[in-house]
Amino acid sequence: MLLPLRYKLKNRNYCLMSMICWQNQHFTLLQCLLTVSKQAFVDTFVTSKIFLCTFKTGNQITKHITMERKNFIRSLMIGAISTPVIIEACKKSSITDGTSSSGSGTAGTTASTNGTCTVAPTETEGPFPTKVPASYVRSDITDGRSGYKMNVKITIGNLNNSCAALAGALVDIWHCDAEGNYSEYGGSGMQSTNYQSVHFLRGRQTTDANGLVTFTSIFPGWYSGRATHIHVHVYNAAGTSLNVTQIAFPEGSGTSLALVNGYSKGMTGYTYNNADNVFSDDKTGVEIATVTGTLAAGFDLTFKLNVKA
Amino acid sequence: MPKKVIVLCYRKIIDSTNNNPWDRYVHEDSFSEFKMQAQYYNQEQRFTTFAEMLLNAPEAEKLHFLVSAAITGYLRQLNGIIPDVLDNLGRRFLTFENFKFELINSDINSLEKHKIAINFFSKPLIWHDTINDQLLVSQLKGSNEEEIFTNLFQIQPFVSIHAIKNID
Repeated sequence: MLLPLRYKLKNRNYCLMSMICWQNQHFTLLQCLLTVSKQAFVDTFVTSKIFLCTFKTGNQITKHITMERKNFIRSLMIGAISTPVIIEACKKSSITDGTSSSGSGTAGTTASTNGTCTVAPTETEGPFPTKVPASYVRSDITDGRSGYKMNVKITIGNLNNSCAALAGALVDIWHCDAEGNYSEYGGSGMQSTNYQSVHFLRGRQTTDANGLVTFTSIFPGWYSGRATHIHVHVYNAAGTSLNVTQIAFPEGSGTSLALVNGYSKGMTGYTYNNADNVFSDDKTGVEIATVTGTLAAGFDLTFKLNVKA
Repeated sequence: MPKKVIVLCYRKIIDSTNNNPWDRYVHEDSFSEFKMQAQYYNQEQRFTTFAEMLLNAPEAEKLHFLVSAAITGYLRQLNGIIPDVLDNLGRRFLTFENFKFELINSDINSLEKHKIAINFFSKPLIWHDTINDQLLVSQLKGSNEEEIFTNLFQIQPFVSIHAIKNID
């Protein structure tokens, strides 16, 4: 009535016998792994010494006992008399490790299989994950992009508080590199675990008591149809958007824009602020930052932005 | 069977039914980041779901990339080991260097509806043989040794062969 599966592993024979028993108000899968001698199975009952039994409820190994042979045989007989014994033999041999409970690695969900026999995860638990901020949260957003160094200082004021400093606001900035490219997924969409340069020139900081955030970046390049600009998105501490805007650069001889001269692209075909679809309506220059510095020493950009918080 | 070099892909889906701490962090943080980033593509506040945004604002396709920054720190915590996929000895055995984050769907008003996927691409493996529904593979190494250490694993849902190359 029991259909044992017999197989060899490292010069020992193993027999796996399974049956479902009614025990403690539950059906449990009783699987007994018998370490047998090299003799045939019929002999096994007579000659083997150790009966290793694991009790499972569902997929959880709940108990592990060693029985004397005579007690094991007795329990089988009781099972046969009091309950209909359902014989279940796995089609594949799946020996579960009886010495540990089903501990799992860092991310322990097992990829499930449509109800066929599968191994249970059996590794030491941990390490345990810790909360980690988004990779945007950094002050230096250069990520190895080449260009003239530029410090960016943005101050946020609250229009609902006479433009006093707004502390605790989240400020995202992003801009293109010297060639005019933004960080984004490439063709295949694959990212590498060399994480450094994936989100280049994108960053997030929280305003301090003076409403100030500081970033270290490079002077942006430009691309067709747009004047040089930096995107800014201000959120409150809860992540609700307060303002989405762009920062423009001062133009004219001697300005940083003129000094950088579009990097290797030059300025042929460049769109100046008064022709730019975002900045052309800014008559008072409120969107234009103050930029000082030199090619050798790098540049300093400062900008005040008032939002309704 | 002639030997082939394969790259496996495991697509790990994470939604509100995942209970594991790592999965929960990834789920929650990617949702917070989605809510922040989506506002750029929803400035008139007409949409509530990612599906609506994609339909109406083609640039919203960038959200997969933009939201991925929220979880790269958690990927680092995996130490290069692909989670969940076990060999027949019950151990994780695949390592990865490349991945791809996907937003499947989301709703700015409901964490329950937030569903993402992380595609893990294994480092190249040599596929030696297939035994029933199990593949026998080994790590691709430069040297040609007589005895190779292998892994046997069952083909399972959400695991596929992503790329293949014949070798002599």
